Amino acid sequence: MNNLSRRSFVSFALASTSLLAMPAISTGSARPKVVVVGGGAGGATAARYIAKDSKGAIDVTLIEASKQYYTCFYSNLYLGGFREYDSIGHSYDNLSANHGVNVVHDWAISVDSSARKVRLGSGATVSYDRLVLSPGIDIKYDSINGYSVEAQTKMPHAWKSGTQVKVLRDQVLNMPKGGTFAMVPPPNPYRCPPGPYERISMVAHILKERNPTAKIVVVDPKNKFSKQGLFMAGWEKHYPGMVEWIDNDTHGGIKNVNPETMEIETDIDTFKADVACVVPAQKAGAIAMNAGVTDGDWSPIIPASMQTRADSNIYVLGDASVASSMPKSGFSANSQAKVAANHIRGELTGSKVFAAKFSNTCWSLVATNDGIKVGANYKAGEEKIEAVEKFVSKTDENNAKRKKTYEESIGWYNGITTDMFS
Amino acid sequence: MVKIVFKFFAVVSYLLIFRVLLAEPLLDGADFDYGEYLSGQCVTCHQSSSDKGIPAINGAEALYIAKRLVLYKNKELENEVMQLVASALDKEEIASLAIYFNSLEK
Ligand SMILES: Cc1cc2nc3c(=O)[nH]c(=O)nc-3n(C[C@H](O)[C@H](O)[C@H](O)COP(=O)(O)OP(=O)(O)OC[C@H]3O[C@@H](n4cnc5c(N)ncnc54)[C@H](O)[C@@H]3O)c2cc1C
Ligand code: HEC
Repeated sequence: MNNLSRRSFVSFALASTSLLAMPAISTGSARPKVVVVGGGAGGATAARYIAKDSKGAIDVTLIEASKQYYTCFYSNLYLGGFREYDSIGHSYDNLSANHGVNVVHDWAISVDSSARKVRLGSGATVSYDRLVLSPGIDIKYDSINGYSVEAQTKMPHAWKSGTQVKVLRDQVLNMPKGGTFAMVPPPNPYRCPPGPYERISMVAHILKERNPTAKIVVVDPKNKFSKQGLFMAGWEKHYPGMVEWIDNDTHGGIKNVNPETMEIETDIDTFKADVACVVPAQKAGAIAMNAGVTDGDWSPIIPASMQTRADSNIYVLGDASVASSMPKSGFSANSQAKVAANHIRGELTGSKVFAAKFSNTCWSLVATNDGIKVGANYKAGEEKIEAVEKFVSKTDENNAKRKKTYEESIGWYNGITTDMFS
Repeated sequence: MVKIVFKFFAVVSYLLIFRVLLAEPLLDGADFDYGEYLSGQCVTCHQSSSDKGIPAINGAEALYIAKRLVLYKNKELENEVMQLVASALDKEEIASLAIYFNSLEK
């Protein structure tokens, strides 16, 4: 298209959109359109790669509710006093400035998949050729008796991006001397399998320094957890006698939590806490449900492309997807985003589509300079994403090795946030 | 004289064996676009901003990158994440990654 006809096309496009009753966000171009909902580990990466690698050939709109993204990864390190809160916040400015992504700060309210349109909180609609949903998780408040939206300030879950983790840190810092911190981890499957246990480590770290007679009790709905041997050995080494982990078979099941009395009732016992972190079960973010691409709580995908099984124009990334064997992690979401971006570019511009490759590593900090990690790489099977090779830190590693692992995780944090937001 | 001739042959065979026969083939079959795609896996960790805990590899010699990857693949260099990454790469993939990262600004 030459300049003149492009200009007349633009004015035609503008004129035709103004005829619509509803306001529409029009970019006034004939380029194929990708809309990405959710600017987290999956969505920000997908938007950046599609825009960057298509070199302007694809019109990318990112719809994200928040102006600033606070990473859940490293929020435990903030809790433990290893990071400033500001250092885990990131803005979307570079995505528009460097790659021309059209960033819209609003909620996506609904998806009309037959008309290929997304409706926003403002009432505007955005149309798409391909839609990427990476909304993360919603909390299933009713999965624990007695828990609710209102309960979350008394018993914060702090399992979503935002200020809850600040509330939790304040509560831990102000806990009475010799008091009890209770943690209720979520049932499987959930975001960040080692996360609850890293959180326990970070709380123990603060308490050891400020409140050494305090106790931590973990009332787990599971009988085992990620990197269990490593965490338990770490707790024994750094915080001897402080952490008591009680598995589901031992307590017989969580019956009820009471934010007024700060009690956690199980089949055989009631635990009274001074501070409690209660993390309920989880499900895909509401917009994935609304788009009709979920089956139960999560969205099944085709491993080779991350397209949903329900609608080939819609891709779901990260926590909201059923990407097993991959864990729900920021690293996984970032890895899946690149597979989807490559596939979408191929579909819309004819660029070469390479075979899907996925990987993940989850680092956790157990105590100062004591980092551990677990990782695997994956390939796309027909039914699921299959692990090819794995590793996990060993319990007998020396201090130098653990320190190196921790430093590596700092490198990764800087790396992935650059990969999402630069 | 014999010594010099011997030296000459030593140098030539060194060049032949190490530069031509062993080293260069490491970069055979390199495909820049494939390297660019595969690099997506690496830049979650390797960025200039990650340099404190993870070395930056942008602009490094292609042969250096390829050799390191082979060493990780053969488990001759320690580091679980890199051994894992390299285990999944074949010869062409290593070559493609090496020339791609070499092309980037330091
Ligand atoms: C305590 C903790 C520690 C963790 N540690 C690690 C770690 O060390 N390493 C690791 O890899 N992972 C870690 N994770 C997991 C990681 O945070 C998630 O797996 C990752 O963020 C998932 O990415 P996502 O794109 O699926 O969702 P998110 O990153 O949550 O992004 C979703 C985004 O979508 C937006 N959004 C949702 N719905 C809408 C809508 N309708 N309209 C507009 N915007 C919307 C939200 O505002 C949000 O910004 C941790 C998690 C927790 C809770
Ligand atoms: C999970 C994080 C991670 C990923 C992903 C990763 N690396 Fe690495 N890489 C590292 C770490 C950590 C080191 C340093 C290891 C050490 O010194 O013990 C390293 C070292 C290297 C080195 C050696 C650098 C030097 O100067 O010694 C090269 C080359 C390299 N990586 C290439 C790659 C390539 C290519 C990829 C993608 C296919 C990749 N890496 C993916 C973490 C990662």
